[in-house]
Amino acid sequence: MKPGKPLTLVAALLAISLGVAAVSLAASIAAKTSVQDVSEGLTCQCGCGLTVANCNHPQCEFAVPVRTRIEGMIANGMSRPQIIAWFRTQYGEKVLSAPTTEGFNLVAWIMPFAALIAGGLAIFFAFGSWRSKAAVAPVAVGAFDPELKRRLEQELRERI
Amino acid sequence: MPLIGQLALALALIIAFYSIVANVIGARRGIPTLIVSARHAVWAVCAMVTVAMGALWTSLLQSDFSLEYVSSYTSFTLPTFYKVTALWGGQQGSLLLWTWLLTVFTAIVAFQNRRRNPEIAPYALAVLAGVAIFFLAMLNFVTRPFDMLSAIPAEGQDLNPLLQNYWMAIHPPSLYTGYVSASVPFAFGAAALITGRLDDSWIRSTRRWAIFSWFFLTLGNLFGARWAYEVLGWGGYWAWDPVENAAFMPWLVMTAYLHSIMIQERKDMLKVWNLALIGMAFGLTLFGTFLTRSGVISSVHSFTASGLGPYFLTFLLVVCVLYSGLLIARVKSLRTPAEFESYLSREAAFLFNNLVLVGIAFAVFWGTLFPVLSEAVRGVKITVGPPFFDKVNAPLALALIFLMGVGPLIAWRRSSLDNLRRTFTAPAILGIVAGLCAFLAGLHQWYVLSALSLAAFVLGTVVAEFRRGVSARRHMVSESAPKAVVNLIAKNNRRYGGYVIHVGVILAFVGIVASSFFRVEVKKSVKEGGSFYIGPYELVYLGLTTRETPHLESAIARVEVFRAGKPIAVMAPAKLFYKRPQQPATEVAIRSTPASDLYLVLAGIDDNTGMVTFQVFLTPLVFWLWAGGLIMALGTVIVMWPNVRERAAIAAAVRAPAALEFDAQTVPGGE
Repeated sequence: MKPGKPLTLVAALLAISLGVAAVSLAASIAAKTSVQDVSEGLTCQCGCGLTVANCNHPQCEFAVPVRTRIEGMIANGMSRPQIIAWFRTQYGEKVLSAPTTEGFNLVAWIMPFAALIAGGLAIFFAFGSWRSKAAVAPVAVGAFDPELKRRLEQELRERI
Repeated sequence: MPLIGQLALALALIIAFYSIVANVIGARRGIPTLIVSARHAVWAVCAMVTVAMGALWTSLLQSDFSLEYVSSYTSFTLPTFYKVTALWGGQQGSLLLWTWLLTVFTAIVAFQNRRRNPEIAPYALAVLAGVAIFFLAMLNFVTRPFDMLSAIPAEGQDLNPLLQNYWMAIHPPSLYTGYVSASVPFAFGAAALITGRLDDSWIRSTRRWAIFSWFFLTLGNLFGARWAYEVLGWGGYWAWDPVENAAFMPWLVMTAYLHSIMIQERKDMLKVWNLALIGMAFGLTLFGTFLTRSGVISSVHSFTASGLGPYFLTFLLVVCVLYSGLLIARVKSLRTPAEFESYLSREAAFLFNNLVLVGIAFAVFWGTLFPVLSEAVRGVKITVGPPFFDKVNAPLALALIFLMGVGPLIAWRRSSLDNLRRTFTAPAILGIVAGLCAFLAGLHQWYVLSALSLAAFVLGTVVAEFRRGVSARRHMVSESAPKAVVNLIAKNNRRYGGYVIHVGVILAFVGIVASSFFRVEVKKSVKEGGSFYIGPYELVYLGLTTRETPHLESAIARVEVFRAGKPIAVMAPAKLFYKRPQQPATEVAIRSTPASDLYLVLAGIDDNTGMVTFQVFLTPLVFWLWAGGLIMALGTVIVMWPNVRERAAIAAAVRAPAALEFDAQTVPGGE
């Protein structure tokens, strides 16, 4: 067997595994129910700290009736934003599981990306200044010292 | 026992003060005997806190309810195993565990450095003692584990049922070990700033500590997620809860630090950044404890919320101000002539990796604190939950995975286009093919397709790198392929261990993406003999049995699982009712396979109708999250494994002039 063959085999196996994983995923796909989708946008008020979709109290006094109500609202033809808006008027902003994208709440969404852009710019300028200082060492083509080559091979044998 | 424990803590506090004074004066005035005495003091502090730990454990095991802590967190009927773990079930005990770990690590550092780092080690030990003093002061004056009750209760209040789980036995100690061991590189960084010895010897001396900390932070997060998965009964494992976030942020920053120090070791760059990162990591460990203790943000994990918040916040601010002040004062000395040639270089990839990791940490930090900010600015309480964190972090995670594939393979200084083509063509093709396969299989979400493609790309780069290494070995020294793989890892454990960690990260990432996007849930009420379906499985409810112990009552449902008409398993989810405190709990049943997890919750029992309600989740590939985490841990062990060549390099780097060395043999009156 050639040296690289076992690893090529591993690579092939990995590719096949990913393919199988994809098929396995596809087989398990089920469109999220609308109740699930809507209730992920609401925070349970029982103190569990989870969304209404994920509240871990089977008999939760908040999540269970809310899910039933959402089901009814969907049956009455209400859309997700309409349902969420209704719950917001009932319980206030704290019932939403994420900040809105208006007013001061926009800061919540913008800040992480603003910080990232600022960091990126800092790196860009730092690179610029480092780059101008860096002297690119000339590479001597064809002039390879046999002694250096011997030492390099020796080093390789020890390190690899 | 309580008296011994309290006395030991008081002595530990006094001796810790002495160790700071002796270390600083000994180092400043060059008095070797004082340095040796300070080292002994460090060991004495560790011994005293160990005595206190032993005293509290003994009281817990003896159910000594005269102790407030024991009566609050145990009962006579609590199984012995949980009497042991109750030590970290409450606030005082968990702070004692933290302090004990800190003093043990400080003692190890003192031992390791008795002949090394003579200039900075005394200051590092003084910094560690300073941190220990804060915790010992809390244990002595604010939240005492050995407080006695005036009237001894007949029975204890027992441990929170959610904590009566084996994952809780190992999750907090793992996380605390990760948190506390981050103090060691921080202390050496601070000592380097104090002394002005700003070369990379402090990094080399503590690199293994940083990896050790990362290892336990990884395990701590993993075990915590597994605990949530098995105990909370909602089918998930991560809810972006503030306390989860508090454990995740130091992990992110330590990951950035471990990558960034490679650039300093290699190119003598980023000295300020590395010192800032380790300061941030340490600060975040304190911030995490502040979040858990203060109750400033509501959390499902705040089992021990108390009034300790202001103390932690003050300590955190003091540490931040002092450390930042030192860093600013030394900025000029830390500047080195940096060399940078191209964006197509490993140093560039690592810097962008740092940007993304710290960016994610900032996003998590920001989202965690935003409710407090919103309330302060607008007076409106809002929730920042999973949808926010998912939306903000999902694209950053993709960028990170991409850089994980590029960073380790791209050349230092600069890569030619030809070099890039040779290195990345095959992995890129693998990624594209995986994406196409996924698309043809019916997965059309852009995020899932990108994630699978990038995962395949990174795995491809790792396999290609192993392939190159093995070929090189077989070319230089004739040996079989398996032997070549083993020798390759053994001789270059740091590098190839890192690749193993990357494989673990990718598997965990695939598990997270799949389980987040494709989890299916069914809720069904059935009578005995009734059945229902989820995915390819048919579940038949066989009946209910009850069991009672002095500690709890349980109702256990038996459910037979069929696939394609063939019985494959009997699962037994249960509802538990703890007698003290009177609290219900759920015990889920999980049938885990590499393809998917069948997760069964006994959601309700109607005694009148005989109907039983089940909540069932079918979660694809979640197995790989846990497997990936364990592979990450394995990779970290490989990285940490002692390497003779590296040890020699460290010894050479940290060896100081002979005149400065003072070990026991040369110090009159020493050990």
